[in-house]
Amino acid sequence: MGLVTRKKVFSIMALCAMVGLLLFPVIVSLPSLAIGADAPDAAKKEEAKVEKGRDVYYKTEGIVVGAPAPKTVDGPKDYPRYNFESRVLLWFANQQHLYYGSFVLAVPIFCMVVEFMGVVTKDKALAKRYDQLAYDFIKISLTAYSLTAVLGGILIFTFLTLYPAFFGYLSSIFRPVMHIYALMFVAESATLYIYYYGWDKMKEGFLKWIHLSMSVILNIIGTLLMFLANSWIGFMMSPAGVDEQGRFLGNIWHVLHTALWNPLNLHRILGNMAFGGGVVAAYAAYKFLASKTDEDRAHYDWMGYIAMALGVAFLIPLPFAGYWLMREVYAYRQQMGITLMGGLLAWLFIIQATMIGILFLSTNYYLWQAMGRMRGAEKYQRYIKYLVFILACGYLVFITPHTMVMTPAELKAMGGQQHPVLGNYGVMSAKNGGINVIITTTVLSFVWYMRGNKVSTVSWAKFGNIFMGVFFACAYVNIVGLAIYGYYIPANVRVGLSVPQVATTLSSLFFMFALNSVMMKGAKQTGAIEWGKISARSQYALIMLATAFTWMMGLMGYIRSSVRLFWHVNEIMRDNSPWAYTHTVGFAANMISFNVLFFWISILFVFWLGSLAAKKAPAGEKAGVPGSAPQPAGSH
Amino acid sequence: MKALMSVGALVGAVLLLLLVGMILDVVPSNSVRLVEGYMPIQMLFEVACFVIGFTGLSYMLSSMGMAMPRFWQGIGFWAFVLLYLKFRVYPPIPFSVRAMYGTVSLVAVFMWVSASEEDWKKFKQPIMNVLDAQSGANKMLRYAYLVLIPILIGWTSFNSMKPKSEEPIELRTVHPAPPASTKVHGKTYTLQTSQNPYRVNPEGKFDQEYSNKLIVEQGMGRLMAPNANPWDEKNQGYLKYVKEGGEIFFQNCHFCHGDNLNGRGLHAFAFNPIPANFTDPGTIAQLQETFIFWRVAKGGIGLPNEGFPWASVMPPWEQHLTVDEIWKVILFEYWHTGYYPRTWD
Repeated sequence: MGLVTRKKVFSIMALCAMVGLLLFPVIVSLPSLAIGADAPDAAKKEEAKVEKGRDVYYKTEGIVVGAPAPKTVDGPKDYPRYNFESRVLLWFANQQHLYYGSFVLAVPIFCMVVEFMGVVTKDKALAKRYDQLAYDFIKISLTAYSLTAVLGGILIFTFLTLYPAFFGYLSSIFRPVMHIYALMFVAESATLYIYYYGWDKMKEGFLKWIHLSMSVILNIIGTLLMFLANSWIGFMMSPAGVDEQGRFLGNIWHVLHTALWNPLNLHRILGNMAFGGGVVAAYAAYKFLASKTDEDRAHYDWMGYIAMALGVAFLIPLPFAGYWLMREVYAYRQQMGITLMGGLLAWLFIIQATMIGILFLSTNYYLWQAMGRMRGAEKYQRYIKYLVFILACGYLVFITPHTMVMTPAELKAMGGQQHPVLGNYGVMSAKNGGINVIITTTVLSFVWYMRGNKVSTVSWAKFGNIFMGVFFACAYVNIVGLAIYGYYIPANVRVGLSVPQVATTLSSLFFMFALNSVMMKGAKQTGAIEWGKISARSQYALIMLATAFTWMMGLMGYIRSSVRLFWHVNEIMRDNSPWAYTHTVGFAANMISFNVLFFWISILFVFWLGSLAAKKAPAGEKAGVPGSAPQPAGSH
Repeated sequence: MKALMSVGALVGAVLLLLLVGMILDVVPSNSVRLVEGYMPIQMLFEVACFVIGFTGLSYMLSSMGMAMPRFWQGIGFWAFVLLYLKFRVYPPIPFSVRAMYGTVSLVAVFMWVSASEEDWKKFKQPIMNVLDAQSGANKMLRYAYLVLIPILIGWTSFNSMKPKSEEPIELRTVHPAPPASTKVHGKTYTLQTSQNPYRVNPEGKFDQEYSNKLIVEQGMGRLMAPNANPWDEKNQGYLKYVKEGGEIFFQNCHFCHGDNLNGRGLHAFAFNPIPANFTDPGTIAQLQETFIFWRVAKGGIGLPNEGFPWASVMPPWEQHLTVDEIWKVILFEYWHTGYYPRTWD
């Protein structure tokens, strides 16, 4: 057997092993899942003792197989503590684990996409750059992976030691799921290491495709892991599969598949991707600013651009996924929705809107700066001020609070709680218009960026340009028109109006990108993209983008968790600790800032560790670093 | 192009004069009325007109060889936004919101003046000139800033730390989350699923669509929908109950909530905050009828814990009205304001 054939056989075996690892936890857990099926046998034996309960969500009847949720009392038995607020300790441990968890789940997805781009790109130099970039990504995530596991351990210990009654109850419900989770984690680790260490051995031809397939398996395992973890928080917010006393009714699928599980899954996948893109972009920005050579600057400029583009690609649909989640929250419990959007936590949503606006503003700003490194993009510069104006208007509407903060004197001067002008911006109809205007403008900035140094040579270029201009104008008119129309129609129809608004935004995204690509095929280049010649301000915009992502994740996590108010498990298990109250906005903001700061300090350490590994790389490997390769031919 | 820019410049000059008049209190803010029903769009439209006007003015000044430096363009535009919000929009906007708008516009100005390297250099130039202090005037300015900036910081710090006699800012929760159910006159109502029993068609069946067609139309004013006369004695179903609800409203509620339902009744200004303005799209238009039912029945005293700071003098109307009367008065409020109650289907 030749060396190449042997390599192929081994790589196929490794791939099969990964599939096996993926399926193993499921197969092992099948007997555990069947616990509900065993219960009827037991019931036959002791029919008189069988007790049935009604599922609080699915309203189906089931045989009680679990203990009721404990009625905790404040004391060392249920809430042992240090001389400190246990909730804050848990908040910190949880948030750090989530940051790292999101990062290490997102980065392999990027790797998969970038590696795939490298495989299908015909330009050999560019393909090599993509491959190296994917490798750089996974290298960063590897160190972070160990830290994620450590933080996961800390989180579990925190739960066990500070909230034993609650965690005991949760693990009694999720016992089989937690075991599957642990096995999946083993599978994830094994797959990740094979994927990483097999990089050089499977870098060409058929073997490269096997390697790429491994990344698909890796990401499937990672995504399933996240789904399982999401089921716990889904259960805490909208429990199912238990009766009113919190007794498990034997159907583990009901426990997993709660009202909010799927919206949470989608929201978290997109959120993780956007966050991961932001962190890698910030890494590239940091390396760019610290670079001493033009080659390094060119490499990290390009890396930052790719990471930002991938992150933003997932940021754009994120508000719509959030919208679905909120819709499901309202459908599940009206009071939960009102607490979030109009009541106790409403001000946090204004802060969230502010952060979302910052994300889009930073992205636009970065793209405008990036146009500065293209010769020929100057023709768009003079129009940027109008984009700024449109963005600012959309942003102002988007962040206008419904409940304004004011002194009693201001309240009196205003003549009521609602401002007759600005109050109109504080409701959903206006806000949907605001965010869609912002996203459409971001799409326009991208289109300008993509055609910055090009002049279309297709015969219908003039018509194409006019069509695009009219399309964008109509998109704005439609979005704003629907936002105004929303005031005059019933709420249930108004909620539905978001669909044509989103459709308009996404149409702009897909049609305009597609049309622009067709128009720019074989276009005349007015100048090359001078990678590395971007302003330092653009890199600060990337860092801003990543920081805003991190802050917003912390904020949304807090909002999602605190909407349960004084419940560990909503309406099932009450939180009887002394901390069953909602923190003030100021305290929450400080805590989130602390978490963000800690994460960035620790991730800088991770980056530093990564750079140590790079310094030790042999000279031959260094030659393959893309920055030293010739400039790519105007790749976007 | 030149003609267009000239028109733009003219618009800019007129608008600026108007704004200056408002700042100096020569022209009252409401001399150019914010038209009810169109106010939010009117405000954005006005700002857009100002931007067009400024573009025209800038073009004209450049043509005349008196181009305004980019630094002053940026500073000037930011000052304009702050002044517009403070002196043009009425009633006065609370400081917290003006601060948010001011910050966003400052960021927007920064994005504009630094979007390209050339613009950024132009914008920085006057600052760099002062810092470099190559001329006598710049040297003087630098010294002036050296003294003035610490004074400004000190004055701001002093002002923020100084004890104030003003009542503290309150983060009021206007719409606290309702309970899952509420008990009124001995009967429990599940708020998520209960319906107004008087939102019915002439046959007496619950019919949201039927009642939606008969509400007062919104627009430049509020107009009664055609064929929707609640005073018609022959009415059956929804409109009959709207009339009955109206009678109850004018016997009990309008003293505070006003005969236009805008929260400006006879006694309204004895309270702070004044009673809820039902014509605002942020009040009953956002809520389910059952939410209103709960709030009317339980009043200010029945606000839940999160209804901070519980600033409501609304009486618990369950002590004065029957359940049927409460439902009918809610029906009237939606009819009169032209809003549809929130539904979840």
